Amino acid sequence: MKRLRASLLIAPSAALIFLFIVLPYITVLVMSFRAPAEGQPYGEGFSLEGYTHFFNESYYAMSLPQTMFLGLLTTLVCLVLAYPVALHIAFASKRWRGFLYGIVLSPLLVGIVVRSYGWTILLGNSGVINSTLRNMGLIQKPLPLMYNDFGVVLALAHVFLPFMVLPLLSALQAMDPAITQAARSLGASRFTIFRRVTFPVSMPGVQSGCILVFVLAISSYVTPALVGGMRVKTTTLLVVDALIDQFQWPFGSAMALILAVSAGIVVLIFARLTRMKWT
Amino acid sequence: MRLATPLLTFIRVSVYVFLLAPIVIVVLASLNAGNFLTFPPQGLSLRWFWTFLQNDVFIDAIIYSAVLALCATAVSLVIGTMAALYFVRHATREAEVVRVGMLLPLILPEILTAIALLFFFYEIGIGTEHQIALFTGHVLMTLPFVFLNVTTSLQGRDESVELAARTLGASRYTAFRRVTLPLIAPGLATGGIFAFIISFDTFGISFILKGAGSAPLPIQLYDYLRFNFTPEAAAVSTVSILLTLVLVTVSDLVFGRE
Repeated sequence: MKRLRASLLIAPSAALIFLFIVLPYITVLVMSFRAPAEGQPYGEGFSLEGYTHFFNESYYAMSLPQTMFLGLLTTLVCLVLAYPVALHIAFASKRWRGFLYGIVLSPLLVGIVVRSYGWTILLGNSGVINSTLRNMGLIQKPLPLMYNDFGVVLALAHVFLPFMVLPLLSALQAMDPAITQAARSLGASRFTIFRRVTFPVSMPGVQSGCILVFVLAISSYVTPALVGGMRVKTTTLLVVDALIDQFQWPFGSAMALILAVSAGIVVLIFARLTRMKWT
Repeated sequence: MRLATPLLTFIRVSVYVFLLAPIVIVVLASLNAGNFLTFPPQGLSLRWFWTFLQNDVFIDAIIYSAVLALCATAVSLVIGTMAALYFVRHATREAEVVRVGMLLPLILPEILTAIALLFFFYEIGIGTEHQIALFTGHVLMTLPFVFLNVTTSLQGRDESVELAARTLGASRYTAFRRVTLPLIAPGLATGGIFAFIISFDTFGISFILKGAGSAPLPIQLYDYLRFNFTPEAAAVSTVSILLTLVLVTVSDLVFGRE
């Protein structure tokens, strides 16, 4: 009786997740094997055409390495930028910590459309950076900061930086300060302490931050669309194009699943290389 | 080593500037008096806010987004809190499954979840009509935030206070209302605010699942930005940023910092 009453608590959420997450993802899987059709989203019967179409057309096939490259570069930029900040916050005084934490979290409170828009104002051909440089007489022609990989990676790194700082921060804060003090009193230099003590201890944070940022970056839509101006073709942009604009549901689903499986493989390779412990 | 310290400080300050720059620039751009987003700005003015206030498309979108976010947050608060109570008080072997399940909408790529929902709602014959799919998507997106926050505030509490209330003759309902609810109020408030902001700002779900007619603010803004470059979009964005700031500040003042 008590178990029954308790299970009523979880019932609505369980039903919601099962009905609207588990079943829909199964629908995508089934959809990817349906036959394509003209004038309607999908036809009768099943086929592998969605998958073969992707790999036979270089326009689509080449978007996959491009997307993985953008994702990996964004992850690397985030890690390099986030680490000094996470270290700073982890060992800052209590009064400063709240303030700095607020700066790191602030981008999360602003919508992704607004943030990407902010980058277009900064990076555009007549944007803040180019106009300033031109007014100072440093350049004649505007620098190509937007509508290319550079702009997209920069904006993506900004959008997802908090997702790298937070796991790093929790790993660093769990570290016992006595360890670094011990290393120092035994004569280790600051660089050696970082390489042999701090970084290995923070490894779980590095791993979860990298995986999170990578997955978010390759599946993001708004930022590549606005900052890349549809000139940087990521697989996610092509998936949405195939599904919403061209009404090719089996092909779009196959593409989405190919992207998801590829991302899974990259994550597994990363986990193996960094000797990740799954918890 | 002496060189490394100023270098590290420089990197840190640059990262903080990098984090805030696009947001600050949007606010500054909205105060531009000129017709286009030029830099340096051609004087300060609030004219774009005035233009925006007379633009029904954006006003409708803000109201639509706010109502949608309120409804989604209300549903998420109820079922998310129930799930958190189950997870902290009753779950044993299945705890890990419950936790991962509740966080699935957060872990899975939003755009893929949106597409999956689109197919599913077409398969059962509803499609994007009556905003049912859109609303379901928003509840899913906000649910993990309520669950996480309420779970955190429940984990610090002892169940014995409720048991004491029950022993003293309070009904199950009274014990929940008078004892448990006040204890988890900060978690509910933070979870609710988070849920509201997530729903108000989310893009993928709204982009794929919006039906015909009115659309949430991020979608209208995105559509506008694809073809227009006036500072009106910056004014709209600034209002949306201010709205979030007010919400966070008010909750901080009322419920204090956790």
